[in-house]
Amino acid sequence: MTRVERRHRAPLAGHPRSAPAPWVLATASWLTTVDHKRIGILYGVTAFAFFLLGGLEALVIRLQLAAPGAHVVSAGTYNALFTMHGTTMVFLAIMPLNAAFFNYMVPLLIGARDVAFPRLNALSYWIFLVGGLFLNASFLAGTPPDVGWFGYANLTSKQFSPTQGVDFWLLSLLILGVSSMIAAINFIVTILNMHAPGMRLMRMPVFVWMTLVVQFLIVLAFPPITVGLIFLMFDRFFSTHFYDVAAGGDLHLWQHLFWIFGHPEVYILILPAFGIVSEVLPTFARKPLFGAPVVIYSGVLIGFFGFGVWSHHMFAAGMGPVADAAFSVATMLIAIPTGVKIFNWLATLWGGTIRATTALHFAVGLVGLFTIGGLSGIMHASPPVDLQQTDSYFVVAHLHYVLIGGSLFGLFAGAYYWWPKMTGRFLDERLGKLNFWILFAGFNTTFFPQHYLGAIGMPRRIYTYAEATGWTLWNAVSTVGAFGIAAGVLVFMVNAWRSLRAGAPAPADPWDGRTLEWRTSSPPPPHDFDTIPPILGRDTFWREKYGPRGVPPAPAHERIHLPAPSHWPVVVGLGMAVSAVGALTHGTIVLVGALVTVVGIFRFALEHHRTPAHAHQIGGLGLDHRKVAMWVFLGSECFLFGTLIATYLAYRGKSVVGPEPHEILNIPLTTISTFDLLMSSLLMVLALAAVERDDRRQARLWLFGTAFFGLIFLGFQAWEFTQFVGEGLTLQRNLFGSTFFVLTGFHGGHVTVGVVWLLSLWLLDLRGRLGATDAVKVEVAGLYWHFVDVVWIVIFTLVYLIP
Amino acid sequence: MNRWTSGRPSVRAALAALVPTLGGCAWDTPMTTVIPRSDFAREIVHVYAIITWAAAGIALLVFAVLAVVLVRFRAGPGAPLPAQTRGHTLLELGWTIAPALVLLVISIPTLQVIFRTQAAPPAQALEVTVLGHQWWWEFRYPTLGIATANELHLPAGRPAVLRLEGPDVIHSFWVPQLGGKRDVVPGRSNQLTFTPQVAGEYWGQCAEFCGVSHANMRMRVIVDAPAAFEGWVAAQRATPPEPSGRAAEGKALFASRACVGCHTIRGISAGVLGPDLTTFGSRRTLAAGMVPNTPANVAAWVQNPGALKPGVKMPALGLTDDQARAVATYLESLQ
Repeated sequence: MTRVERRHRAPLAGHPRSAPAPWVLATASWLTTVDHKRIGILYGVTAFAFFLLGGLEALVIRLQLAAPGAHVVSAGTYNALFTMHGTTMVFLAIMPLNAAFFNYMVPLLIGARDVAFPRLNALSYWIFLVGGLFLNASFLAGTPPDVGWFGYANLTSKQFSPTQGVDFWLLSLLILGVSSMIAAINFIVTILNMHAPGMRLMRMPVFVWMTLVVQFLIVLAFPPITVGLIFLMFDRFFSTHFYDVAAGGDLHLWQHLFWIFGHPEVYILILPAFGIVSEVLPTFARKPLFGAPVVIYSGVLIGFFGFGVWSHHMFAAGMGPVADAAFSVATMLIAIPTGVKIFNWLATLWGGTIRATTALHFAVGLVGLFTIGGLSGIMHASPPVDLQQTDSYFVVAHLHYVLIGGSLFGLFAGAYYWWPKMTGRFLDERLGKLNFWILFAGFNTTFFPQHYLGAIGMPRRIYTYAEATGWTLWNAVSTVGAFGIAAGVLVFMVNAWRSLRAGAPAPADPWDGRTLEWRTSSPPPPHDFDTIPPILGRDTFWREKYGPRGVPPAPAHERIHLPAPSHWPVVVGLGMAVSAVGALTHGTIVLVGALVTVVGIFRFALEHHRTPAHAHQIGGLGLDHRKVAMWVFLGSECFLFGTLIATYLAYRGKSVVGPEPHEILNIPLTTISTFDLLMSSLLMVLALAAVERDDRRQARLWLFGTAFFGLIFLGFQAWEFTQFVGEGLTLQRNLFGSTFFVLTGFHGGHVTVGVVWLLSLWLLDLRGRLGATDAVKVEVAGLYWHFVDVVWIVIFTLVYLIP
Repeated sequence: MNRWTSGRPSVRAALAALVPTLGGCAWDTPMTTVIPRSDFAREIVHVYAIITWAAAGIALLVFAVLAVVLVRFRAGPGAPLPAQTRGHTLLELGWTIAPALVLLVISIPTLQVIFRTQAAPPAQALEVTVLGHQWWWEFRYPTLGIATANELHLPAGRPAVLRLEGPDVIHSFWVPQLGGKRDVVPGRSNQLTFTPQVAGEYWGQCAEFCGVSHANMRMRVIVDAPAAFEGWVAAQRATPPEPSGRAAEGKALFASRACVGCHTIRGISAGVLGPDLTTFGSRRTLAAGMVPNTPANVAAWVQNPGALKPGVKMPALGLTDDQARAVATYLESLQ
């Protein structure tokens, strides 16, 4: 028998006298769950609720536009609705619906029992929930954001948006960014390090590959927007000048930072759908994915090129012909791997025996509709054409063909495909096809005419228009279509509800599937697989069923370690929520929230400090999960500091008042503090060596020494800042002050975190709780510490030494 | 103009080929992007047509293959397992290279037009400074010494260079029949060069979301025959006639109220926050292209501008109906 061990009971079960009511236990078990399948369901249900909210906003938008000069809502409300609709659908609906499938399916698809960091997985869900609720709380506060989902500066400044709407928006995007970042690191480590033995990279299902690409996009694309949002936050809360034209600021800065994130974000939204289709089509054509390696490489290329095309969102911004030409060509290049995918999907169907299930309907729907969205995308890859199309309804049509015709149809395909696996019950196929056809008709009725409306000049984001423009008829048609989309979604809800109540039971492998998830029961047991499945190649389960060779003998039964539930993820999420509320009400509340967050993080970190199963987490790469995670995080940090440094350099010499850097920077003094920080890296090396050979005295000495040198550096920085303020350079003084203090302050913040981390390890050691088995914990802290030191060398060189 | 300018109808034809219902749609609307009336707009339509045809062709190909596949390979009952084909290198190379060739065909005219339409303006170009305000347009002609609002007059056949400047937030200048849009970015000086070719009235509108009344930031561009343009310039420069009767009452009200703080009427006031009203009566529309410039509309506007235009900076001045009519009479007299 396979033994499944769970080290801890649910926390509320610890009171034997008065057993809590079943619903209390159930709620507690969901609040503290770390099971990837349950977290997937939490993501799915929450995101679907936000999706309905975003859809309702869209319906009001369409009602207002149904006729010229309509008065369904006021101009201000309309502007808030399209802002919330866009932000909600991108960040609270499609991204987390994708995350629902990542969570539920990826471990099953790679033959793993959970993700690399189950509690971090729960944490990213709770932070996502906080971010989503906080954004929508802006409605309750009566000040929803009204600046559009890409919030162009300087409309977002205090001067032009004095209410708290923009604050709600930027704080919730920052919170959601933290959630996405944690999840992304987790999934990269999971996919690279936890796949079943024998599942080499090219044997991984395409959905897993697309998930991997998406996580890298998140890790690298979120830092620029995070920095952009932090600048905005400083401008609004602390009167800095990042987006202040009068102080020499450049409004293109925000656009660049936003779209360096924003374009990869498009692929973050669409690649998971491509992955789903690449699973659904082969299953229902009963043929392997045609040219699977090429489909994978195409996805990787799309992700890679995705970082080099952001400025095609700015062809009208006035970047000059050379930049226009370069970004135009780069954008057209992306069309090649995208086209390859479409053709490979068609070739997958060609020669197959196609079973026209609902999942297949949606997958084929995606192939057709995304073709339209992709082709209209090529149209505005040409800057001259884009100048007539951008910010018009042509673009509105384009992006909805990509995000509904692409992402949402893919998600529906995934829902119909994996529903039996997740719930153990079938969705009704007849209702499913009704769902598909109503949605398909409604969608095309809504959005196809918008190409035409754009071509006859209707700008986006207008709450009203004149009859004489000729836009009336097709706006009315579009509004009718929107209610068709709503009806389609309603049919899905009915279908889901009926399935959960009395759906036909689904066997383990209802579709004659090709991948590992169909090898375990529907729904899978908490530990996913009784034995880690044999990996025979790509489509391993299909080979097992139909292959000429026999199945290798099942590996010997093993002890299965299941992660224990934890309530600390909820606590950390709660702390962040309190801080966010405080930021808009009272500073003291921020501190309370920060305290809860910090305490929560410490308890979270120490919860399993002495759990033996956590001592070694070596995976397929031969590296500890935690080390891989730190490397990925540092990759992301490179982009964060890169953005901060690039902004500093771009704004150098642009201040309209003094003081200038050369008048104020004290190079000899900073040389000393730089040397001090470099030396701390040396001590860090000694500390790790001492811990590894279990030399407790030396370990304590060098750990404390490293932290102490860090403290000296911070002392220098504090002194330097005080001097500068004394000489008239403040955060608010000029662009130099704003960029200098935010850049070096962020670095100082990183040093502070490092010092706290090292002192915590030192304290653990003092209490005899740090031994040679914990060396990896010191090593991970060391990686971070060395990185922070290297960043300082770059800052010191670029800010201080190069005049 | 170049040999490609015959491209105009083909955008429509291509869209119509893609979706037959579009063939029956009206394209000749005030803000149409496919009926060009300047060199710039024609250059764009030329590229637009090529890409639309290419896109329509590819779309039809994909849909045709999809249709064949779905009809031909539908599984019947008891269908045998199909051949487990894993790929075909030559085919896949083919459908990598073919789109690359199509893109090459698209990118060459694209690059040509990018550089042609963003070349330095010719020396004889008429210079206009365009200021995008929340939520109206100001047009200054530095070489002619005149300024107007929301109605830009240009002579046909002479290149115009618009220098786009923003005093508040980002806007975008877009008159589709005269060419593509260009953002008006505070702190940067963008420009747009084109030669209007056909006299007529063209509609434009701000294309970058700029706050609560973004939808109400419209404009008209009136392209005049050269002689008519000269006449218009002369009229703009003339001193407004001394009003009499009701108009004189209106003038007195205008001069004694807050109006003078924001508006310029040459010889009377020098406000700069709102549009210059020196020749207000000659304009076709009111409140940045929102309603026709009639005395009744003007009277309603000066009484309560916010009722027509949400968020407007102009306050309600507390005028009685009679006073409002007098002010309207005065403003309409400023031809």
